[in-house]
Amino acid sequence: MSAARRVQQWATFGRMWYLYDGKWQNPLESADKIVPYLDGSHKPIFHPLNDSGDHVVVINSRDIALPGDEWEKRVYFHHTGYAGGATWTLAWQLHEADPTMIIRKTVYNKLSKNLLRRGRLARLHIFPDDKVPDSILKNVSAQMRQLRPVPRRLDHYPQEELENFPKIFDWPKDHVIN
Amino acid sequence: MLGRVIGTFLPRLLPATHSTLATYPPHASALLRPLHTSHSRCLKEIVVEEQEGGDTVVKGQYLPSPNAHLLVKPDGEAGKACPLCALDLDVKHTDVLILSQFMRSDGSVLPRRVTGLCSKQQRRITWLVIMAQKAGLMPNLAPATSKRDPSRRYGSKKFNRYFDENTLPK
Repeated sequence: MSAARRVQQWATFGRMWYLYDGKWQNPLESADKIVPYLDGSHKPIFHPLNDSGDHVVVINSRDIALPGDEWEKRVYFHHTGYAGGATWTLAWQLHEADPTMIIRKTVYNKLSKNLLRRGRLARLHIFPDDKVPDSILKNVSAQMRQLRPVPRRLDHYPQEELENFPKIFDWPKDHVIN
Repeated sequence: MLGRVIGTFLPRLLPATHSTLATYPPHASALLRPLHTSHSRCLKEIVVEEQEGGDTVVKGQYLPSPNAHLLVKPDGEAGKACPLCALDLDVKHTDVLILSQFMRSDGSVLPRRVTGLCSKQQRRITWLVIMAQKAGLMPNLAPATSKRDPSRRYGSKKFNRYFDENTLPK
């Protein structure tokens, strides 16, 4: 085996580190995308007995977005085991307490339910903002594409672009703007 | 807000340039001191014409709209429909550059009398504006008492959210 083929063999079985920007992304749709990377099923060499999962670094988890009124309607259940120990936490309350928890719980629920689940979840690194330790960032070699476009706020457009954007209609000639 | 602004205490016929002020008596310029908190663009300008026989005609003429050259207007049969139907646009709530054209600076929607939309499109635009405001995409078009910054809103309102236009009432 030539040196090039040998390196290709090592690289095939090596662990990749992927970066995923969670800004304005739905955590439920994102988990569907992240889970195959964690358990390795996105690779052609995948086998259930083959430990080929990759690392995924999720940044900006504080800026995830939920559709409609799901921040108020989605509920996370917990029970202490004691009588009356049940709690129901709304998604926005959980996100306020820990901005990485919603993504971690969603990915955990979508991973296959076996003894490998905890180890695969350990390869998911979530950060609430874009400050990632160098020890993690130095491994990252690829980036995952975002699932939905990040909307742009009206006050973030330059004034020139606002003025020169095509107009749908013209005001009546005696219309005074307040 | 860019647009044609008229000071409340100023006469509507105040000219944009003071070249015609010479026709006023000398003390009039003190009364007509221009005071603006924003860029002023008058609707009308004063035109003074000397006619034969010594008569002087003073007219207020409408100025052309500053947006006239940016107007998208389809020709022919499509031009008869309302502005949005004619363009056949699929407007989303994230298209803030389009939605902001139908709004006042305090975030309210302009009436049909001004926008010229059909009732279906006007209702759809009203809903899309509500969606964009709840998503915090137009924080600068809001009442003066509002907090502006979406991340400082109360409770669950401070987190990012998006909407599906298919959920709009038909």
